[in-house]
Amino acid sequence: MIRFEGAAKRHPDGTVAVRGLDLEVPAGRTTVLVGPSGCGKTTILRMVNRMVEPTAGRVLLDGTDVAALPAAGLRRGIGYVIQQAGLFPHRRVIDNVATVPRLLGWDRRRARARAAELLELVGLPPETARRYPAQLSGGQQQRVGVARALAADPPVLLMDEPFSAVDPLVRAGLQEELLRLQGELGKTVLFVTHDIEEAVRLGDRVVVLREHGEIAQLADPHTLLTAPADAGVAAFLGRDRGLRGLGLRPADSVPLTGLDPAPTPDLDLGRRIPYGGWELALDPSGRPEHWTRGAERHPVPVFVPSRDSLRAALDAALLAPSGHAVAVDAEGRAVGTASRAAVVEALAAANGTGTGAPTPEQVPHAGR
Amino acid sequence: MLDGEPLVRWHWLGDHLGYLADLTADHAVIALVPVLLALLLAVPLGLACARFPRLYQPLAAVFNVVYALPSLAVFVVLIPYTGLATRQTVMVPLTCYALAVLLPTAVDGLRAVPEPVRQAATAMGYGPWRRLAAVELPASVPYLIGGLRVAAVSSISLAAVGALVGRGGLGYLFVDGFQRTFPTPILAGIALVALLALATDLLLVAARRVLAPWERGVAR
Ligand SMILES: Nc1ncnc2c1ncn2[C@@H]1O[C@H](COP(=O)(O)OP(=O)(O)OP(=O)(O)O)[C@@H](O)[C@H]1O
Ligand SMILES: [Mg+2]
Repeated sequence: MIRFEGAAKRHPDGTVAVRGLDLEVPAGRTTVLVGPSGCGKTTILRMVNRMVEPTAGRVLLDGTDVAALPAAGLRRGIGYVIQQAGLFPHRRVIDNVATVPRLLGWDRRRARARAAELLELVGLPPETARRYPAQLSGGQQQRVGVARALAADPPVLLMDEPFSAVDPLVRAGLQEELLRLQGELGKTVLFVTHDIEEAVRLGDRVVVLREHGEIAQLADPHTLLTAPADAGVAAFLGRDRGLRGLGLRPADSVPLTGLDPAPTPDLDLGRRIPYGGWELALDPSGRPEHWTRGAERHPVPVFVPSRDSLRAALDAALLAPSGHAVAVDAEGRAVGTASRAAVVEALAAANGTGTGAPTPEQVPHAGR
Repeated sequence: MLDGEPLVRWHWLGDHLGYLADLTADHAVIALVPVLLALLLAVPLGLACARFPRLYQPLAAVFNVVYALPSLAVFVVLIPYTGLATRQTVMVPLTCYALAVLLPTAVDGLRAVPEPVRQAATAMGYGPWRRLAAVELPASVPYLIGGLRVAAVSSISLAAVGALVGRGGLGYLFVDGFQRTFPTPILAGIALVALLALATDLLLVAARRVLAPWERGVAR
């Protein structure tokens, strides 16, 4: 557990980066710091590994004041991931990942074996191990950054806008991956972002900050979105809060239309199901192949009702050329469809009275 | 030039092959040993300057002034201390000239490491010296070799001037040719200086490919 007790940072030039923070970061959970640029997020993060020394107050790690711990040793026990990955350009990917184990005195073989495990854990193919960082895409570099931070299995992970430099699609993938990893590893994660959507997606708890590191609200994502503490927080959440809230509501409230004719698994011919001018082509096992009209073919946007959010359902309906989102089961087999109108109706119902609002347990990621 | 004297007397070249080879080897030693010495000095000085930035300005100023001095004048001034016709007369100033090139490149190279890389290293528990040695120094190898290319080539050409104070590898061919109004050795000297510079440069380019494999994006 990390505990900030009146931790403050005042720079020599008089700038007050953090006025005095009291915060508990629970072990094994993800706590997200979110707030406008310059509000002190990076400063707060760096107080934990002593890259910034508080000018007042203290930071406790499992009850010990970090100021009492030797900086190098403390840092080797804390993973740190930053926006630009900061990989060593002159070291191969595998040796980048092996850095902290090597610093801890592991022999090269063991450190590399561990690094190879981690590359696999973060979903990088083995052939990337021998490459140099410049030979990887931005998203791959971020994965290496995460692997490197995890290499010595530190209980604490500090992440400073780790995904904000990659494009939105890759970013969503990385967020997904982090959720999966965190589900497996249960680290104490302190994650900084200025994207509220990312915050509610990843955080078990979200800390909304305003200037000088003052806490505007500390809540679970659902409470934050449904009950912002004050007008300032509400404004920060943005006018499209209704839409952002979609990301948190499960898609299982969307009424599905059955497939007609229903696909039968034992037929080895695929099927085509008409929707207006469009046809949905399914393969023999019932997985959607494409939307087709005449010679046109388009990919099929899908969602998994039991797992995905309303937002995913809306996206799928908006992206499908036919205007129908296809619901699939965990194996990817089509189970039904939902028109745009049906999704929007479900949306209105969920947003409307508030009685239909999901409890935190129903929020997809909160239940992991 | 004398009328009737051909530009190149080929048989003279043929008769003096061994002599020319000796002069070239001598020239390489006089010119390149100072560059190596300068490299050995530039790395620790560069690391110190990167660690304590206040050192850099005064040091750079000293070597810049040395660099601005006319080489012949420096050679002459050194004669009373090192003696006429000793190698040191030429090699001491050449070391200073090379250092004037290499110190700034060493410091620039160490500083060119991107800030996020430095911060990531610090966050992983590298102390300041260890980080310089394990991260910044190796990452700056391409810079250092770039500096070495400039220093080596200019040292090879400056070393020729050393012949005027009695010691000078291929430079001796120029003195000899002028005194005898005999162009063949002069042209041979020019060609050999150029060849030596070219060979050294190619060697450094090859060294860079081996020592900084990440730069060309292929596995070693
Ligand atoms: N070395 C410094 N000297 C003076 N002021 C500083 C220094 N470092 C940071 N600050 C100031 O402290 C405040 C907090 O900075 P910090 O980097 O923690 O913000 P942040 O929330 O991480 O911002 P961003 O979202 O832009 O990364 C800012 O006003 C910044 O200008
Ligand atoms: Mg920041």
